[in-house]
Amino acid sequence: MQTVSWNCNKTNCWTGKLMHRFYATVFIEKEKGRSLMKSKKTLISLVSVFLLSIFALVGCSSDDDKKKDSASGDQITIDIFQFKVEIKDQFEALVKKYEDENPGVKINVKTVGGGNDYGATLKTSFSSGEEPDIFNVGGPSSVEEYREYLADVSDTKAVEQSIEGTLTAVTDGDEVLGLPFNQEGYGLIYNKAIFEKAGLSTDDIKTYADLEDAVKLLDSKKDELGIDAVFALPGKEKWVLGDHISNMFIAPEFNNDITEAYNAKTIEFEKGDELKRYLDLQNSHSVQPVLSLDYSQQVEQLFSLEKVAMIQQGNWVYNSVYDMDPELAENGMGILPVPVEGFEGKIPAGVPMFWAVNGKSDEKVVQASKDFLDWMYTSETGKTAVLEDFKFIPAYKGYDATKIADPLSQTIYEYAEAGNTLEGWVYQAAPTGWNEETLGVNIQKYLSGDLKWEDLISQSRAKWEEERK
Amino acid sequence: MRNRDFSFWLFLTPVILSLSLVILVPFVYGFIYSFTNWNGMVATEFLGFKNYITLFKDADFRASIWFTTKFAICSVILLNFLGLGLALLVTRNLKTNNLMRTVFFMPNLIGGLILGFIWQFIFISVFGNIGELLGIEALTGWLSTTATGFWGLVILTSWQMAGYIMIIYIAYLENIPKDLLEAAEIDGASSFQRFRNITFPLVAPAFTVSMFLTLSNSFQIYDQNLSLTNGGPFNSTQMVAMNIVKTAFTENKMAFAQSKAVIFFIIVAAVAITQVYYNKKKEVDM
Repeated sequence: MQTVSWNCNKTNCWTGKLMHRFYATVFIEKEKGRSLMKSKKTLISLVSVFLLSIFALVGCSSDDDKKKDSASGDQITIDIFQFKVEIKDQFEALVKKYEDENPGVKINVKTVGGGNDYGATLKTSFSSGEEPDIFNVGGPSSVEEYREYLADVSDTKAVEQSIEGTLTAVTDGDEVLGLPFNQEGYGLIYNKAIFEKAGLSTDDIKTYADLEDAVKLLDSKKDELGIDAVFALPGKEKWVLGDHISNMFIAPEFNNDITEAYNAKTIEFEKGDELKRYLDLQNSHSVQPVLSLDYSQQVEQLFSLEKVAMIQQGNWVYNSVYDMDPELAENGMGILPVPVEGFEGKIPAGVPMFWAVNGKSDEKVVQASKDFLDWMYTSETGKTAVLEDFKFIPAYKGYDATKIADPLSQTIYEYAEAGNTLEGWVYQAAPTGWNEETLGVNIQKYLSGDLKWEDLISQSRAKWEEERK
Repeated sequence: MRNRDFSFWLFLTPVILSLSLVILVPFVYGFIYSFTNWNGMVATEFLGFKNYITLFKDADFRASIWFTTKFAICSVILLNFLGLGLALLVTRNLKTNNLMRTVFFMPNLIGGLILGFIWQFIFISVFGNIGELLGIEALTGWLSTTATGFWGLVILTSWQMAGYIMIIYIAYLENIPKDLLEAAEIDGASSFQRFRNITFPLVAPAFTVSMFLTLSNSFQIYDQNLSLTNGGPFNSTQMVAMNIVKTAFTENKMAFAQSKAVIFFIIVAAVAITQVYYNKKKEVDM
């Protein structure tokens, strides 16, 4: 059959050739049909070539068994696979120092960032047999998933010095299965200058009623203060809605205990009305439309350029704000606890990730891995790096709070040491994906007016119960 | 056809091998896993068709299929329309032909993720500011509703892929024998008649190719979706590919996601094959 398309070979245009290739790909089926008519010989040669190539391929990959290699002789090799891209360079520098101090230990660091990507990559490396010796686990669900690989680290110094409550997510009976990375905390981050100009003092904001009054006051002086709105509610970010905002009003019903939430068959939303009230307050005084407002608009654009007075975020915004306006980041912002009835003056803080040691590695490697983690969090060199280079809020006692790099983290560490944090980000213990994909999505629907509050509660509860059946 | 001997297969081996290793083998594995409770590491139980039954009860999945279908219809029409239009424009013997071809093709060279973020800025900030200045309500609040999210995606994809489709049409347009067109002109055919009765039937094979490409592409879109709307608001602009990825990696239900992928594969394959079959019938021989 001669169709028009083949004519294009005659002209020498590159587009024609390109097109021709497409044509060939699309209709390759036809070609295959012809090839099948060929003799048996072709088939035999195909199979033999195929087999040959497979042998060749298998041949190159089946050598060097990594595990054997890692503990041979005096040299111990530890493979670390961690998720925090922000500290990649600083972490590698610290590892270098450790290697210099301990000549017998060699540490390879691999960093893959972003929550989802890390989980997927970690899973791949486990299922392909390239297991790291030290890796990160999040909440109880990933602890359960990797349970058989997790070594008990309760004999480390770091565990002794960890701040009360930071280990609940990784405790299983007497065993401690991970070491907290750091702490993170969130609340209402406010612009000091705007508050001052409006004549507000943060000491006056203790209860929810106080907050409401403050918001009203700020709202009435919008033009005078030069702000677009009081809040910037990032309705596009399901994690802000479903994880952080909701957590404050959900955690109390599980007594702020991650394990309790992890075993809960249902969720009552005891503080559902408070959640609604707080959401409505933010939504009605936020820059609109909230549903397309994302994290970068909230933090980099609106807050850093002083277009809003407050945002609900955590200590992690410091770097973004610093990039936009160093002065504002260092001296111009502070953090306030969100007033939740019964828990006024407390900041929800939690451990986002834990270090886990692979218990299936060679015994020597397990010990060396624990030693390294211990050194990182308890030695002087390690502590300095954790505070000054990583800019972490330590999850361990005995750190010098004044050395904490930024004012938000400093405030949170002070709250933590004084026992004024609510340890327990129970959202880590909700059914996987429930917070963002169910609750977060439902809150978005509620904000857009497509879902009534009662339905939000009942639908979210139903999904929780379904997952926990 | 004579030269299909040993060396023919030898040269073909690398392709066949890599194709089967990265496409065929994973596909077969995935198909098998979709009948189990595989969690990404181990499969302990054989569930039969349980995943497939749950899947049809999944309202989000159904919504995403519907959304993707609507999206595919709109973008296929718009893309072919734009592609052919641009191709006609740049085959008119203008001086700027080559420049324009390059310009129109350029968006296709930018990765989908980056494009998504660029257009996000345009839709939200640029549209918003223009709308505010001129008092046009319709330009504000883009991407915060399902409808604007949908059209945002259609615009983005059309803008990105139109140049690519244009190239295909150019190839066919340039191969239309000039004598045919001239003869028609002498016979007194108007330019519309010439287009309708000569050009159009002769570029029909290009429709087959472009329709196939745009159709399968629109169904499988992921990165543009991720960076432009990320499914928002409330997952109403979530396409099937994204729904599958979320099921697998956010909700951690690997086998369930795999069964969704199998269904998705069947749908896309069926649509694409039907389309190619019908378009092929319409092509004319010279």
